[in-house]
Amino acid sequence: MILSCENLGWSVKNKAIVSNVSLQVETGEMLGLIGPNGSGKSTLLRMLAGVRAPASGTVKLADSPMSSLRQRDIACKLALVEQHADTEDRITVRDAVELGRTPFLSALRPWQGEDDQIVNRALDAVDLRGFGDRIWNTLSGGERQRVQIARALAQQPEILLLDEPTNHLDIRHQLAILHLVRGLPITSVIALHDLNQALMCDRICVLQDGQIVALGAPSEILTVQRLRNTFGVCGHFITDPYDGTPVIRFHSAHKES
Amino acid sequence: MTAVDLPRRRSTARNGWYWAVIAPPILLGALVAGTALGETPIPWEIVVQVLCNKLLGTEYPVDRIDAGIIWNYRLARAVVAASCGAGLALSGVVLQALLRNALADPYLLGISAGASTGAVAVAVIGLGGGVISMSAGAFIGAMCAFGFVALLAHVAGGGTGLRAAGVIILAGIAGSQLFNALTAFLIAKSANAEQARGIMFWLLGNLSGVRWSDTVSVVPAALLGIVACLANARALDAFTFGADSAASLGISVKRTQFSLIGVAALVTAVMVSITGSIGFVGLVIPHAMRMIVGTRHRALVPASALAGAVFLIAADVLSRVILPGQVLPIGVVTALIGAPVFAVILIARKANT
Ligand SMILES: Nc1ncnc2c1ncn2[C@@H]1O[C@H](COP(=O)(O)OP(=O)(O)O)[C@@H](O)[C@H]1O
Ligand SMILES: [Mg+2]
Repeated sequence: MILSCENLGWSVKNKAIVSNVSLQVETGEMLGLIGPNGSGKSTLLRMLAGVRAPASGTVKLADSPMSSLRQRDIACKLALVEQHADTEDRITVRDAVELGRTPFLSALRPWQGEDDQIVNRALDAVDLRGFGDRIWNTLSGGERQRVQIARALAQQPEILLLDEPTNHLDIRHQLAILHLVRGLPITSVIALHDLNQALMCDRICVLQDGQIVALGAPSEILTVQRLRNTFGVCGHFITDPYDGTPVIRFHSAHKES
Repeated sequence: MTAVDLPRRRSTARNGWYWAVIAPPILLGALVAGTALGETPIPWEIVVQVLCNKLLGTEYPVDRIDAGIIWNYRLARAVVAASCGAGLALSGVVLQALLRNALADPYLLGISAGASTGAVAVAVIGLGGGVISMSAGAFIGAMCAFGFVALLAHVAGGGTGLRAAGVIILAGIAGSQLFNALTAFLIAKSANAEQARGIMFWLLGNLSGVRWSDTVSVVPAALLGIVACLANARALDAFTFGADSAASLGISVKRTQFSLIGVAALVTAVMVSITGSIGFVGLVIPHAMRMIVGTRHRALVPASALAGAVFLIAADVLSRVILPGQVLPIGVVTALIGAPVFAVILIARKANT
C-alpha cells in the first residue's frame, strides 16, 4: 500500500470538517471519492496531498509519515489537481504546465530537453497540443482544468489526486480524462460528482459529514439505499443493453416524509 | 512546428547569460547619462574621462571642479538611485508573487510608515541624543513597523493560501495607519514649520544629500535582493496558482514566504532609510516588465531590477531639470510618471484579454 491515513481529522472553530478517516489506497488502483457538497472531499484530498497539515491523525506515503518528508520529495511522488486553481497572472499554457517540473529542478539539475518532451507529452495527453502560447485568462473553464491536469501529469507522479477534475469539461473530455487516468499505470484518488462515472473506479469511498460511511467495490457500495441516505435522491439501476454494465437512473430528489 | 521551436525562442529572455550580457552595458550607459545630465549638462566624454581616471588610473586632463561634481556628487547619486530602483522593484516582484495581490508594493508592510516615524523621532524629538543619524532612525523605525506587522499577521493568521495573504495585507494596513498616526502626532506635538517642511520633503523621497558613504548600505541591499530572487525564481513561479498549489509543487511555503518577505522588508527598509519613500517604482515596474518579458521569474527578476535601476536614474535626472533652479523630490516625479503608466498598463491588460 502506497498511500494511507489513520484517524485523520480537521476542524474549523470546533466544527469537525473531516473526522476519524482511516483509509488505505492500494497500489495501482483508481479510488473514487464521492459524497455530497461539503462532505469534506476537498479537505481530505488536501491532507492526503500533504498540502494541509491534519489537525489529528497521520498520513503515510510509502510507509513514512508525510510530516517527516520534505515537501519536494512528496511532490516528486504525488501530484494534486485542485478543484479551483486560478490566477490573475497572464501565464501561458506551456509555462503553467512547465510548473509541474518544479520539484525535479535545482541549480544542479537545470531544465533539459527531456523536460520539454515531458511537457509536450502532458499537453498531448489532455488534447491541448497547439495551445502552448495561449494565455491563461483566455481559456475556457474546461481548458483551464485540462491545463491543471497536464501540469500534474508533467510531475510524472506515482500517485495522482484529482478533485472533481471533470467539473467544467464537455462530455467528450470528461470521458477522455477519466479513461486517461484509468489507463495510467499509477495510483489515483479522484473526487467525482457523477455517480455513473464513479462506477468506473476500482473502489469507491463514500464521505458524509466528514466521515467515511462506505468503502468498497462500486457494485457493493452504490445501492438504492445509499443513493437515498447519503445523496438524498431516488434512483434505480438499469442495465446498459450495449455492454451489460449497470447504469444509475435518477428519478427525483428524495423528500423526507 | 510551434511546439518545437517555441521553447528555443522564449529561452533567450529566460537564459541567465542573456541578462548577464545585456544588463551591465545598459546599466553603465544609464549611470553615465545620469551623471552627464543635469541642470548644467556635462559632456559625456568628460564623464567617461573622469570615470577612467578614477577607476582605471588613466590621467586625462579634466577640470578639478568638474571631476569633483561628477565623482562625488552626481555619480554617487546615480549609483544610489540605481540600487534603490532595483531593490524596490524586486521587493514589489516578491510581494506581488507571494501575496498573490497585484496591488502589493514594498510599502505594504508598514515599512515606509515606520521609517518616517523613526526619522521624525530622531530629527524632531532628538531621540538617540544626536548619536544616531536620521537614516539609522528611519531604518530602526522601518524594522519595528515590519516586526509589528509580521507579529500581528502571525497572531491573526493561520492557514495558508489566500487567507494568509489577506491577513498580511490587512496587518500591513493596520501597521501603516498606526505608524502614520504616530508620525503625525510627533510632528504636531514638537515640530516647527521649518522642520515639518524638511520632514515632508524627506517623506516624498529625495536624493539631495546622497554621498558615496550611502552606497555602503544600498548597494549590498540591492545585490542581496537580486541574489535572493534569482535563487528562488522557481519557487516564486510556483506560487502562480496560490500557496496550496506551490506546496503541491514541492515548495515549503512557510519557509519561502518567511525568508523572501523578510528579504523584501530588509531591502526596502535600507532604501527608505537613505532616500525616503519613493513611491510607484515597486508597483509599476514589475507590472510593466510582466507585459514585456512574461510572468516567469527567471526573466522577470533581472528585467525588473534593470528597469527599476534605469527608471530611478531617469527620474532623478528629471527631478533636477524640470524646475530650473529647484530640485523636486524624486518621489513626486516617480508618482507623476508612475500613476499614468499604471493606468495605461491596466487598460492594456484589459484590451489583451
Ligand atoms: N478554511 C475553511 N474554513 C471554514 N470552513 C471550511 C474551510 N474549509 C472547508 N470548510 C467547510 O468544510 C466543509 C467541507 O468542505 P470541502 O472539503 O470543500 O467539501 P467538498 O469538497 O466535499 O464539497 C464545507 O462545509 C466547507 O464550508
Ligand atoms: Mg470540493
